[in-house]
Amino acid sequence: MSGGVLNWCFKKSIWVYHVNAGSCNGCDIEVLDVLTPYYDVERFGIRLVHTPRHADALLVAGPVTRQVRERLLRLYDAVPEPKLVIGVGSCAAGGGIWHDSYATCGGVGNVLPVNVYIPGCPPRPEAILYGVAQALGLVPKNVEAQEYAES
Amino acid sequence: MFKHFISELKETLICLEAGQVTLGYPFQPHAPEAGFRGLPVVDPLLCIGCGACASACPARLIDMTDDGDHRTVSFELARCTYCGSCRDVCPAEAVTMSMQFETATASTQDLRISMKLKLVRCVLCGDVVGTQRATDRVVRDLVAATGGTAETIGWLDLCLACKRKEAMATPALAIEVTR
Repeated sequence: MSGGVLNWCFKKSIWVYHVNAGSCNGCDIEVLDVLTPYYDVERFGIRLVHTPRHADALLVAGPVTRQVRERLLRLYDAVPEPKLVIGVGSCAAGGGIWHDSYATCGGVGNVLPVNVYIPGCPPRPEAILYGVAQALGLVPKNVEAQEYAES
Repeated sequence: MFKHFISELKETLICLEAGQVTLGYPFQPHAPEAGFRGLPVVDPLLCIGCGACASACPARLIDMTDDGDHRTVSFELARCTYCGSCRDVCPAEAVTMSMQFETATASTQDLRISMKLKLVRCVLCGDVVGTQRATDRVVRDLVAATGGTAETIGWLDLCLACKRKEAMATPALAIEVTR
């Protein structure tokens, strides 16, 4: 059921709550760029809100430090159902260069169920737009795992 | 009231003059400028599995695992920082930085590259010498440098420790120490 309901709910607009979970601010600045008239993510009905209780999606940047983990889980609980989680940046996708640090959880995926990852260090605004458009079902996935074996 | 109306009219004119500034992306393509470093692309036919990229990668996302007669080279590109160090150090020029930035995906598994390359093991102790391709490359370079053949170069199927032992045991290679 959740898939159909989710698609119906997110067709028009998603309101996003932006979380910095130990990010270096690089991704945060790119997210800010996406909101400018040049990239204008609001044409998709997306806007930032100031409380997770108004949000449909959590936009998480950073590898999730141990300190922020509890807060992130509380934020996630505060977002009403149905909800999306978007991980922005290589840190959110796999922990980045802090993937094996004792001070981080090694990516958002280890803490929350993530719907879309947007890798990049930082991802360029177009990449964030592409990820958001993918979350809305406007564009297809563009990457695929590669396997090779020498014969 | 009238003053307010005039100022709004002025603003409208300014906006009309500026025209549309918003990009058509993602409905129209928007290529990055030259020199942009996007997703690294690895040519599995060129990679010699030497591990130079693995030691240069700041995110340590390149993993070399030796198992039996194969070396598995895997790239965990989800945590790539696009620094291009792997491209810079690659002796075989197998890694290139593409212009691909549309890497959003629901699963980080989509950003994984895995290559299995043949290994050469030491004929004496069974330790890893290197991949077949790396050994071939050494032969090629030595043949070009010395003018010999693979047979005259010798010891190509020995690991470092066994080469050292062999060299110690070979009287012809002993260095004469004179006062």
